[in-house]
Amino acid sequence: MALLEMQNITAGYDRNIILRNFALQVEKGEFVSLLGSSGCGKTTTLRLIAGFSEPSEGRILFDGRDITHVPLHRRNFGFVFQSYALFPHMTVFDNVAFGLKMRRTPRDEMEKRVTEMLSLVDLTGFEKRYPREMSGGQRQRVALARAMVIRPDLMLFDEPLSNLDAKLRVKMRVEIRRIQQELGFTAIYVTHDQEECFAISDKVAIMNRGVIEQMDTPSHIFNRPASEFIARFVGFENFFSLRPGSDGLVTEDGRVMRMPAAEGAGLACIRPEDVEIMAPGEGGENLLPGEVLVTTFLGRNVQYNVRTPIGEFVVKTEQQNGYSIGDRVSLSLRANKIIPIP
Amino acid sequence: MQKGFRKWMWLLLVVPGTLFITVFMLIPLFSILFSTFMAESRFSLENYTRLFTSVYFQQVFGRSVRLSLLSTLLCALLGFPSAYYISRYSRHKGMMMALAVFPMFTSPVIRSFSWMVILGRKGIVNQFLVSVGLFARPQSLLYNEFSMTVGFVQLFLPQMILSLLGVMDSIPGDLTEAAGSLGATRLVAFLRIVFPLSISGLVTGAVLVFTGCMTAYTTPQLLGATDTQVLSTMVYQYAMSLRDWVQASAVAMVMIVVTMLVSHVFNRLSRRINPMAN
Repeated sequence: MALLEMQNITAGYDRNIILRNFALQVEKGEFVSLLGSSGCGKTTTLRLIAGFSEPSEGRILFDGRDITHVPLHRRNFGFVFQSYALFPHMTVFDNVAFGLKMRRTPRDEMEKRVTEMLSLVDLTGFEKRYPREMSGGQRQRVALARAMVIRPDLMLFDEPLSNLDAKLRVKMRVEIRRIQQELGFTAIYVTHDQEECFAISDKVAIMNRGVIEQMDTPSHIFNRPASEFIARFVGFENFFSLRPGSDGLVTEDGRVMRMPAAEGAGLACIRPEDVEIMAPGEGGENLLPGEVLVTTFLGRNVQYNVRTPIGEFVVKTEQQNGYSIGDRVSLSLRANKIIPIP
Repeated sequence: MQKGFRKWMWLLLVVPGTLFITVFMLIPLFSILFSTFMAESRFSLENYTRLFTSVYFQQVFGRSVRLSLLSTLLCALLGFPSAYYISRYSRHKGMMMALAVFPMFTSPVIRSFSWMVILGRKGIVNQFLVSVGLFARPQSLLYNEFSMTVGFVQLFLPQMILSLLGVMDSIPGDLTEAAGSLGATRLVAFLRIVFPLSISGLVTGAVLVFTGCMTAYTTPQLLGATDTQVLSTMVYQYAMSLRDWVQASAVAMVMIVVTMLVSHVFNRLSRRINPMAN
């Protein structure tokens, strides 16, 4: 049985329904990310789980218990805010101890647990500081310690790293993952940063317009996108349709496409990095004639936009011996990189 | 030329205001202060000892401070929930604020006259109390400390609400959510987070209300009586009726000192509750 289960959830304001008939399951010990652009409903989902708001329809089950209407202060979930939401009038120690004070933890046990937690997030010695005297990364770690010290049944993260600079973001996400594996808690993590969530999660749920389009391991999502939306999201830029022909699958204009699996009539896609560009007449598999429309220098790569009989293709190559606009070229689609979209 | 101008420009900006304050406030203030410490052209504390040994002055002094503190407390008690509601839950924030501030648009004289109508023997309050049978005959609600306090509270409540609103609006909503997720009920979250963080607004409001009550003249004059004098009406009496300008000045000095002292105490108290309050 799943640790957390959301069933038939509808949520939103009068005219603006954000989630409709929404479902989500999270297993114990999993690190699940909700990924999507702003307005896709990921934060709404997280706030429903936390208890900041209630769904207008549907149930939320935790460990088999219906918690839909349990008030937030009785849920025992840790929440890490994008803005950190540290109490500015309290020291680091008092911030972290707040949840334990609410639970009437005895003084000496409270001190012990706060001290332990601060050392876990590498903030020993900062007990008497006030939040305004600390850097963004340090505040983030205080927020983390404050949420974890109550030994929550579930940790919820709302874009916790988006206010940090790029370098610190990478460091902190490794840190969060390390602590999660050390303590073994279940976590739901909301982000719009694809790299961040693929790096940190056991499972990623990609959301679009209030619906989970695909929920799977990062590598599965990356290599077998379940829809065109997901495929575009994870970097596929070339889409073309295939239909069954006499000799396997053929393109719209009747060109035979060799693929590892013969199944997959319908839409297929390939990443710009997996298309080779060459002079016409050179040999290769799955060849397409084309004409260069745009070339873009990207540093390590050169990107070509190429017009072909089955639509415009984007090609990224590390070869710098380039083609220029108007050149006739030939594209080769590597057979084992063509992904059918179900 | 240009550089020289820049160098002296600050003078141009600062001098007019400073000059105005100096000529029309500081010099008169110090000359008054000076005059109160003189008796028969010699330095003396006589004016103050005479004041503080007078039983009548002691009564007036006590009443002034007591009514001002009471009105401040009432404004805080009434203003806090209103301000909290407006900043957190109200959908029509602008309109609610306008309503809260509305009393400030009428003069204290008119407002005092309205209270006379409302609290008078034939006023609606008395009519109501008699008609529900709480009292057999109309009570005297006017020209006493009660009517003065009512007048003060109505006069200065908007300032308390505005000061509180300014601070409460700057408290992020996710702080109370964070407290909730850590196990705090709404009440506890309010007491441990919102209240301490609103303290600086409460202090500003309290200082404004207290100072206002101490120095208000029309309200105590119109809603009080001769046996409920306060320091501000006493100054008027000394200066205009008794023509004792020195004694009036001494009372004025006492008012200034008390106001400054109480403001200081408010500030100290606030720092205890929220060490980060400015």
